[in-house]
Amino acid sequence: MEKKLSEMEYEEEGTVTDIEGTLRKKVAGMGIRVGKKLKMITKQPIKGPVVVIVDEANTSLGLDVAERISVEMKT
Amino acid sequence: MKVLLMGHPNVGKSVFFNRLTGANVTESNYPGTTVDFTKGYMKIGGEDAELIDVPGTFSLDPKDKAEEVAVAMLHENRDVKVICVIDASKIERGVYLALEIIEEGYPMVIALNMWDAAVDKNIQIDINNLQRILGVPVVPTVAISGEGIKELTSRLKDAKPVEIDDIVKNAGGLT
Repeated sequence: MEKKLSEMEYEEEGTVTDIEGTLRKKVAGMGIRVGKKLKMITKQPIKGPVVVIVDEANTSLGLDVAERISVEMKT
Repeated sequence: MKVLLMGHPNVGKSVFFNRLTGANVTESNYPGTTVDFTKGYMKIGGEDAELIDVPGTFSLDPKDKAEEVAVAMLHENRDVKVICVIDASKIERGVYLALEIIEEGYPMVIALNMWDAAVDKNIQIDINNLQRILGVPVVPTVAISGEGIKELTSRLKDAKPVEIDDIVKNAGGLT
């Protein structure tokens, strides 16, 4: 199943399948690219940032950024 | 000679800076901004060199004021060597930045900092292979204890511009 990174629940894991065009370069420097495995570890309330683990490192993303990244869920 | 210390935020650039320079340090704002940077002097092989502690940046595609300053400082200093400080436990994104800087033709030495933390996390890095692929000196360091700093400065003379196509070739092509 595919969903937006912003819709992932706590402790869910998945693989990045698509990143909106203009965002691609922006998040590449943070280690997020198509094909990367990530795990959601924190979701802040009131439209706060989400924190994911990519390659053993934590990265926090604004919700507006997370909404533009698609992830295939690990089943 | 001018040397720029570059890397992500919080990888230990300033610790390096303090280790490499002495007391003669000036801190100033980048003209027109409130982003500050520090400048000092160090000896490389008996020669005086100016060392600049550039604000941390994730990429050369700036997302905020501090990153804009970092990129501007890199671009207005063409005749420099770059020490790219990378958090060894987050090596991939660090190498991303290093590649961006190499691509623009800057001679570079890579410091794989927080090497002890990477060892603790059981992360193994093949330094020789990384060096072979990138074509620039790669030195494991622990800035807070001073480990590897001497080697880093002694390898600065080996820094030379590398063609990105050669790196792609050494890495066995694009995947």
